[in-house]
Amino acid sequence: MIMDFGSRLRLVAALLVGLGTSFAVSAESPSLAFRVAKVVTMDAADSVINDAVVLVAEGRIVTVGKRAEVTIPDDARVIDMPDQWLVPGMVEGHNHTAGGLGDLNDMVYLTNPGLDTRATIDPNNRLIESARWGGVTAVMLIPGSGTNMSGFGTVSKTAGDTPDEVILRTPGSLKIAQAGNPEWYFGGVGRRFMNWNTRQTLLKAMDYNDRWTSYEAGTSTTKPEYDPIFDGFRGLFKKEFPATVHTQIYQVLLTTVEMLGRQLDLWVVLDHCTFDAWKVGPLVVAQDLWVLNGPREYHFDRTMNRMIGNCSGWWKNGVRKLGVNTDAPVVPERELSYQATMACWYGWQPYPALAGVTRVPSQALGLYEQRGSIEAGKIADFAIWTGDPIDPRSACLMTVVDGRIAYDAADEDVRRF
Amino acid sequence: MSKINLRCGDRRGTSAPLLGAPWRFVAMFTVLLLSGVLAWAGESDAPPSSAPTSEPTTTSTTSTGTSTAGVEEEPDRFLAVINGDVYTVNGPALRGATILSKNGRIVEIGTDVRLPEECEVIDADGKRVYPGLVAASAGGLHGGGNAADTTNVFSANMQVALAGGITTAIAGNDAAKLTFGTTEDMIVKKGLYTSLDYSRRRPLQRAETRSAFEAARAHLRALDRYEIERATNEDAEKPEPDEDVNRRYLKLIRGSATAVATANSRQDLLDLAALAREFGFRLIVRGAYEGWTVAPQIAGAIAGAIVTPRASVFENQRSVKPSGSSIENAQILRRHGIPVAIVPPTTSITFWGLAGRDLLHLNMEAGFAVRGGMSDADALRAVTIDAARILGIDDHVGSLEIGKDADWIVCDGDLLHYMTQVHYAVVNGRIAYNKQKETLFAHIRPDGAPETTFDDVWPRRLEWPANDDSSAAAEPSRE
Repeated sequence: MIMDFGSRLRLVAALLVGLGTSFAVSAESPSLAFRVAKVVTMDAADSVINDAVVLVAEGRIVTVGKRAEVTIPDDARVIDMPDQWLVPGMVEGHNHTAGGLGDLNDMVYLTNPGLDTRATIDPNNRLIESARWGGVTAVMLIPGSGTNMSGFGTVSKTAGDTPDEVILRTPGSLKIAQAGNPEWYFGGVGRRFMNWNTRQTLLKAMDYNDRWTSYEAGTSTTKPEYDPIFDGFRGLFKKEFPATVHTQIYQVLLTTVEMLGRQLDLWVVLDHCTFDAWKVGPLVVAQDLWVLNGPREYHFDRTMNRMIGNCSGWWKNGVRKLGVNTDAPVVPERELSYQATMACWYGWQPYPALAGVTRVPSQALGLYEQRGSIEAGKIADFAIWTGDPIDPRSACLMTVVDGRIAYDAADEDVRRF
Repeated sequence: MSKINLRCGDRRGTSAPLLGAPWRFVAMFTVLLLSGVLAWAGESDAPPSSAPTSEPTTTSTTSTGTSTAGVEEEPDRFLAVINGDVYTVNGPALRGATILSKNGRIVEIGTDVRLPEECEVIDADGKRVYPGLVAASAGGLHGGGNAADTTNVFSANMQVALAGGITTAIAGNDAAKLTFGTTEDMIVKKGLYTSLDYSRRRPLQRAETRSAFEAARAHLRALDRYEIERATNEDAEKPEPDEDVNRRYLKLIRGSATAVATANSRQDLLDLAALAREFGFRLIVRGAYEGWTVAPQIAGAIAGAIVTPRASVFENQRSVKPSGSSIENAQILRRHGIPVAIVPPTTSITFWGLAGRDLLHLNMEAGFAVRGGMSDADALRAVTIDAARILGIDDHVGSLEIGKDADWIVCDGDLLHYMTQVHYAVVNGRIAYNKQKETLFAHIRPDGAPETTFDDVWPRRLEWPANDDSSAAAEPSRE
């Protein structure tokens, strides 16, 4: 995205004026009217509006309705795409491209409380830029999976020029990785020690939070010592952000659900959830955890000689808080919708799959109040597609973030994706 | 002999249309291998007594007219697919049509085909029939060297590729069928290409390639001069090729061979096109992700491009010209008249869980070409007839036509749709894959009909009616 200096100024001004819930964009930002064939709103009622108009002003959706019923203001710029679909921006729960270098398995200690991807964010690195080609509007930028606790992730928009512009929430999540990659740590560590180590770190952090909470509530008069590492964890125990957990394989999922879900009662988003992990579906439902499956979308069961779709397995086991991820750059972020495509080929269903790249991850990451559906009042994050976004034959023609056109295929000499 | 017996095992006609159960294949292949080895031994110095003299018992019930003399009358082997919507690719689509094959070749296509009494039948009611797909780049489906001697015809790789609809693939430098369960008629064509190395990244090889062409051309010119001179001079001496004249390059210039080269950058593509023009040889290019930047320049010189629409290379910010990959590449090359074969990012079969990037989902890569602006019909051609043409085997495979090989797939929907699966793959008139009889995918939508698809309730743009108030009035609401 190329912005002129003026619009940058306006953006900065907008950020100064309103942060957080009182989000506001400069009044100069033009209102836009999108005329499309179909709006898949992803609202609570799952409504779909054919032959629709979506009005956007000051970064937010003002009106969604049938074309005949919506009056387009005279000063609005009309974007006429009468054959296309308007779909909420896709949301990625598991992305390693904050700095653009693919920090997949960066390691320091085996647990690294206090580290944060925030410091590495490069908002216009090419991997993020190309995410916009695929209609992705928000990503959870997480640290690598080489250690059990690699630090805090950051929820970011895919459009904006500075870290402060793109950050939606920091910390966005606490990144935990169980088994798998951290087993490679230096000479190699076993699961028993890793689980103990993760639990110890969390218990220390929990204890820190408890001491501060009781001090703040007046139930304790001893002021606890400030700890810059554990201070960041307080939001985790207040459920202001989730733990995004790299976890896969049935046995490891059992540990995750038991330790993080049942014992520590955290807001848990289960990432990967591959191999035969779907077998713990009923337990995941009981603990009400989120599942974002990927990048592996099927499991080859060698005993049964079967290719089993992971999402299909989760779905058949009752999990409805189900989405997919790319683990970008393992699968390019722009192919998030294609992860859902493949989940369908292997037995999932198209509408839940589309929800699984829009509404579900948005809810899982705590963004849905503001984003993730096409409803009046919500922030305008969406994309225009030539058809069903799950069909790889459909192309994303335009991506809108915060009510601004962040990607417009018409501006390009050739469409890259 | 063993080959004939194997065929016989398959021809049990209408009473048991799906006779090719895996165990039977296993048994038969064992027989094949065994008798093959023995037959080979018989041709060698070994005493004649070691040659097989009696028929294997497993096939004795169905074989007829065999003799020990080795010259046998083969009973005709018929296989038909009926009631399907037949997408012939080179001709019109035929609703509810029949294709009849005899001994591995298509003999009839139409809606009024009379089946012979003993004929294996696939009922494709409600399904679609396409030509088997052709993988113009592939690895791991066949063995190395001479594929017919080295291929594991029961490999999971081959079965998964058949499940992806592929019936013919490049195997080394040959084109080979995915003849699951048999090695018979596996090889379609040997020695497809002469490989060229003409990249600026390897200047030494590039110079060698060029001088090889020059040496070959010089020799051919000398031969031409000799032909002229011979008419007037009986003592004219026929020039012998120097030792640096490579026969393969002579064939290229004469037009009796095809060259293949991997080239992606704009410069390499332009260089190769210039080389092909200068020496007048038939050239196929692999990769070509920057082809879209030079399509008009290379159009006349390149006989085909094997491309991956989803190729992912960012533009080179140090180049002042357009660079990098584009989803529109396949479409742009096609539009400029360059035949395009589409291959996925990974041209083998993988089992480790990353879905939709290997040969199992070749059809989805064709879908990505549609995303880049290619029509559905052209995308289908790019994995069938155009791919076959690029491999030089379009006289055998790539479309459903009388006289061509009986290679087809039966799908539960539009081949380019993402819920579509292959239910049968037929190779050389034999059922090589039957989804419901194999374990791999039988559990996925076993009745073939997707539970819900967008196409049922939300038409794609191509079918989208203008101002469709009736459907809009009933906005679907689903759980």
